[in-house]
Amino acid sequence: MGGMFSGPLTWQNAIVWILASVVLLFLVLGFVTYAIYFERKILGWAQARHGPNRVGPFGLLQTVADVAKVLMKEDIMPKNADRALFILAPFLAFVPAFTVLATIPFTGWAYFADLNVGLLYYVALSSITTLGILLGGWASNNKYALLGGMRSAAQMISYEIPLVISVVGVVLLSGSLNMSKIVDGQEGWFWNWNIVPQFLGFVVFMIAAFAELNRTPFDLPEAESELVAGYFVEYSGFRWAMYMLTEYVYMFAIAALTTVLFLGGWHAPAPFLEFIPGIVWFLLKFAFVVFFIIWTRATLPRMRVDQLMGFGWKVLLPLALANVFLTAVWLEIFN
Amino acid sequence: MKGIIKGYATTLKTMVEPKVTVKYPDVPLKMPDRFRGIQHFYPEKCIVCNQCARICPTECITLTGKPNPDPEKKVKVIDTFDINFEICILCDLCTEVCPTEAIVMTNNFELAAYSRDELFKDVKWLHENDTNVRKENNSSSPRARKGGQ
Repeated sequence: MGGMFSGPLTWQNAIVWILASVVLLFLVLGFVTYAIYFERKILGWAQARHGPNRVGPFGLLQTVADVAKVLMKEDIMPKNADRALFILAPFLAFVPAFTVLATIPFTGWAYFADLNVGLLYYVALSSITTLGILLGGWASNNKYALLGGMRSAAQMISYEIPLVISVVGVVLLSGSLNMSKIVDGQEGWFWNWNIVPQFLGFVVFMIAAFAELNRTPFDLPEAESELVAGYFVEYSGFRWAMYMLTEYVYMFAIAALTTVLFLGGWHAPAPFLEFIPGIVWFLLKFAFVVFFIIWTRATLPRMRVDQLMGFGWKVLLPLALANVFLTAVWLEIFN
Repeated sequence: MKGIIKGYATTLKTMVEPKVTVKYPDVPLKMPDRFRGIQHFYPEKCIVCNQCARICPTECITLTGKPNPDPEKKVKVIDTFDINFEICILCDLCTEVCPTEAIVMTNNFELAAYSRDELFKDVKWLHENDTNVRKENNSSSPRARKGGQ
């Protein structure tokens, strides 16, 4: 499918590319709808209650009803808010979340762009969301929103560094930043998956990913039951929905990235199971990562901001660097 | 670290355990026997002593009696008996004070209506409201007490 995108820019090609992106957008929106539903259900089950079960069969239409309600709300803008930035911020936060999906290979043939620097592209674009969040906090003309935005930016920047460095180990093992090649290196039995040689890198990556997603235990900027929504407190209606969408699309992107980098992408755990299509394996691993993220939210308490920053710089960063060093030494000795 | 693993195990275990919530109103809610709901009235037992109307804290009971159709007996017979359910506080004092246990509580409480007219309960409605009648009635009269206490 990547070959489909490498022709000249004629009208036909442009329409085909736009349609393909729209299909991905709808798939992602469908994922977000049911990710929100399953998050509420799983959190409910972990708390010995049912979760949404009245709207539609088994409550499946709950998110649809919620989205309809949110879209019908009045769009309030504070009087002294910075208009242009207030309007720009949600989109600035959302656009990178969606564009990073271009380089992720879902199966051997289902990808949009086979960049040789695919991983670097992902990491670079995901930093732009931090700008959107900071801008939302500033443009709201609200000191608590500003504080929330600054804290969130501090958290996201500090945890991006261990995130990137933990992935360097995987790059060293695979010899390439190209995501398809990284997945190819994990073919065969499940002990070939990068999680086995790079377990320390995987742990650092997962923790840093939780911080990047602003999810429990690092969800201080939002802190639903404590602070009032942090940096997006002044947003209502569609703009708030945009921020929520950003968060869940990032969950999609990080889960997809984890599956590709550490869990063997679309490969089966054993060679004799390869007859089952790759997309099924990808979806199973992806679903497990999303379940783990939600399970963590049900389990762990929230970290304080100083504990969070201390942990990121003093624990995760040295661990990530140690992982790179150990991987390099191992490769030198055994190759 | 061990605590974190135990936490994960606990939440996972709770996910598969039966839930503690009740699916009311799809599943009816059974109240204990002594629950005070709307009253049930036995017109044949009432001796028109007016104690219930006197003791009612919100004065929601109004009753009238008529002379006994049977010329031998001197006791009056109940003619109309209304409870204004809008102001009835379900306090149970009318039941406690009634010497013949003509008025008792039931466990029915789901009486929301769209019009205030339906909240004015007359003797016919109160007599027909005979489901879920309370067995234990806390009557203070020695004559009406059953089984000695």
